Amino acid sequence: MSDSSPVDDDLQRWGGAGTWSTGAELTSMQTLLWRAERHPVQSSTSTVVIDLDRAPDWDRFVAAAEWGTRLVRRLRQRVVEPVVPTAAPTWADDPTFDLAYHLRRERVADREEMLEHAAQIALRPFDRTRPLWEGVLFEGMPDGAAYVLKIHHALADPLGTVQLLTMLQSGRRAHTPRKPVAEDVVAPSEPDPVELAVAGLRTDVAALPEAALAAARRVGAAAARPQAVVASTLRYGASVRRLLTQAAPPSPELSPRTGRMWSFLTLDAPLDALREVARLGGGTLDDAAVALVLGALQRYHARHDVTVAEIPVGVRVSLDRADDLGNRFAGAIISAPLSIDDPVDRVAAVRGEVLSLHTERALEVLDAAAPVINRMPSFVGASALRTAAAPDAFVLTLPGPPRRRYMAGAEVQGIYVLGPLPGAALTVCLVTCGDTACIGVNVDASAVADLRGLEECLAEGVEEMVAAGEVRGP
Amino acid sequence: MSGLSTAAQEAIDAIEAGPQGPEVGAFFDLDGTLVAGYTAATFYGDRLKGRDVSPAEFLRTVVTAVDGELGGDPTRIAHVAFSAMRGQSEEAFADLGERLFRSKIAGTIRRESRALVMAHQRAGHTVAVASAATKYQIAPVARDLGVEHLVCTQLVVEDGQFTGATDGPMLWGRHKASGVRAFAREHGIDLAESYAYGNGYEDVAFLSSVGHPTALNPHRDLRAAAARLGWPVLDLSDPVGGSLVAAGRTAAALAGMNAGVGLGLAYGLARGDLREGRNAAIRLATQLPMTLAGVSLEVLNQERLWTHRPAIFVANHQSALDIPVLGRLLERDFTIVAKKEARWDPRAVVGSFVIDPAWIDRSDSESARATLDGVVDRIRSGTSLMIFPEGTRSATPVLGPFRKGAFHLAAQAGVPVVPIVLRNTGELMRRSSLVLNPGVVDVCVLEPETDWSVDDMSERIAALRTKFEETLARWPA
Repeated sequence: MSDSSPVDDDLQRWGGAGTWSTGAELTSMQTLLWRAERHPVQSSTSTVVIDLDRAPDWDRFVAAAEWGTRLVRRLRQRVVEPVVPTAAPTWADDPTFDLAYHLRRERVADREEMLEHAAQIALRPFDRTRPLWEGVLFEGMPDGAAYVLKIHHALADPLGTVQLLTMLQSGRRAHTPRKPVAEDVVAPSEPDPVELAVAGLRTDVAALPEAALAAARRVGAAAARPQAVVASTLRYGASVRRLLTQAAPPSPELSPRTGRMWSFLTLDAPLDALREVARLGGGTLDDAAVALVLGALQRYHARHDVTVAEIPVGVRVSLDRADDLGNRFAGAIISAPLSIDDPVDRVAAVRGEVLSLHTERALEVLDAAAPVINRMPSFVGASALRTAAAPDAFVLTLPGPPRRRYMAGAEVQGIYVLGPLPGAALTVCLVTCGDTACIGVNVDASAVADLRGLEECLAEGVEEMVAAGEVRGP
Repeated sequence: MSGLSTAAQEAIDAIEAGPQGPEVGAFFDLDGTLVAGYTAATFYGDRLKGRDVSPAEFLRTVVTAVDGELGGDPTRIAHVAFSAMRGQSEEAFADLGERLFRSKIAGTIRRESRALVMAHQRAGHTVAVASAATKYQIAPVARDLGVEHLVCTQLVVEDGQFTGATDGPMLWGRHKASGVRAFAREHGIDLAESYAYGNGYEDVAFLSSVGHPTALNPHRDLRAAAARLGWPVLDLSDPVGGSLVAAGRTAAALAGMNAGVGLGLAYGLARGDLREGRNAAIRLATQLPMTLAGVSLEVLNQERLWTHRPAIFVANHQSALDIPVLGRLLERDFTIVAKKEARWDPRAVVGSFVIDPAWIDRSDSESARATLDGVVDRIRSGTSLMIFPEGTRSATPVLGPFRKGAFHLAAQAGVPVVPIVLRNTGELMRRSSLVLNPGVVDVCVLEPETDWSVDDMSERIAALRTKFEETLARWPA
């Protein structure tokens, strides 16, 4: 093998995991989601289902978790809020951390039952005074086992969750002795909520003269060229208005949404075929994922004799580059076509919609507003998030491990991310896992009357994409 | 010089270096891309002038337009306009389109956009105009550019009248993109190899449907998006509009021309030599006004203007500026054949007195022939003749058909034909404009052609016209 050995590869990755997410404060966006959370209707919890080829040895599994939580400090930390929101919440080591509280195992008869349990676990709110994760190993299934990990957005967004898991998993089945552990940092003294608030206020007051000066300068500049300022403000406002109002109206077939009944579905698709359809339509894998979901929903609507031309779909747009890479992302809603039969044409249409968002100067509006909203009582943030119109579906693509991975001796056969449902009827996450696209679908069971039907439509949607990728492919 | 900016020339070079053939598409947006400005505004302006617009409709249009700018639905304004067209005759509207094309829109076609279209046509690409406008706005422009295909908004017509509705969606934003993709499927076009040019922020979806998108003179928000998406941006020059300064200079030029004529004639009278007086008048009457208006000449093969005199000079005709330009080129001992109707044109009256044109009455072929016999005698006695074989000014740089008269005269008088190609007089002084803009006129004198006879005249005329076309398409370095 010309590749570096799995062990070296592992050690390098694990070294990286030790430095993963070590900032002391929550970012403004994390803060917004943390303070505005109203679980499960306005939830920020993602659940990951990991299919394993066999049940791992429980003691080894616990030992691995013990090691992982020592390596990634964040997994043993909790969020401490200031008494008044003058500062961002802070991460602090949980002195009462007990692995047994966060990790347990259950027995189920089959995979379907496991998914039902996983949905129930996801629906239960976190104890917000403890580290924000919970893992359950499901055993007793005829073909292998499953590890279900529930994680709060403040700890890791879906992208970060998959990244973290990918980092912590092993490249080989055998145990690796002498794994790296994090350097023993002297735990910072437990921050006091009142102290945090006072410190935040003090920073604000200290920054006040400077802020006032900057504001005065801005007002001066604006006064010097009022026309330009008015024009640019109007353009920004117009952009905000377009982003908030110009998406298609929600489909009547996908209501009423309560957000209180979650149902998990998983599907697999060959990644090569999806990439080929994406290429033919001039789009990316993200566009193909949206096109797949649209194909399924188009069938679902047809089954119920409902014709809808477009539905609002939430997507993630890179703020840096067009090829969906980069570090800065914004969520936005597109009007996605529900009337295009050809999968390739559908990808092209989705591509056009997504790229069109790049003309909107207000794409970052929520990011820009988050620091201000965070200084206000939490219901302000909660309603700010609510006014951001909810799409019918969220679709997200996440890069998973490129190669085979193991957890405590059990081979990972699929990683499915089941995202939250902030107002949407379904949230679809596609994780690339080796040569397979692992598709996790969280469905609001109150909005989708015919859950079996939707599952069949999703399967047909996958088939249709694969066929299009194979027929026209090389 | 080719007269194109470096960026435009590079884009054309890239088209020539890329794949050729009809499976490559080239899609051009109309408003703001092929033409500067909005054709719809021209149509609306015409309706306003004709007082066809009720105050209520005007108010609705303004409010809708402002709302569209402020983040409302920007296509609603078009639907307001479409519904106002209910009951109008399609034929009359198509005629209006032709009329507005000749008087206004033709002059707004960007020269470099035309060069891009022609480059795609030379590469054998399938060229189409893709626009949210209606065919009544697009068809005359497309015809002038030699573009066959239109992908555009269709209006419903019943019994020859508009119903006020559209057939299918207005091809704006995503609908233009899907229209282009459908067109590509129908015509077997490979979109990954194809080109698209657009300027509006709504054109992102349209542009992203091809492999080679170009943001052409883009709107602010498209420029930002193009920067993010890594799309090339091409900024082409707009046709020069008449500024107040240019108008003032034009007035000075007219005065200069008349003064020049007067001075020249006075000089001739003083010397007692009318012929020399006329030549002096031509020199003064052409140089003085052009200097005043800030127009200069860049002439290729200037020596050919002198090697074959007397001769028949033929030139393409786009602008009233052509006559003083040619006057300055030929300088002396020439006259023109002009239609009788032009005799009292205020811009020409003094000049015509000087160069003593052969007035031809096109309504009376008998007298026309007699006039031309007289002209042959004048040529033989040493006076060259300048003729525009297209007969009339073209609205755009596209050549019209050549009439045979000039070449019959060459055969009868036994003199050569000297072809002169004028590239951009139409840009400096538009067809219907009285205002002359400052700039450089590009002139190319082609190889003089001798020994004209009736036998092979048609073929030789066709060949000569092709030479004009080629020279206009690829200006010699």
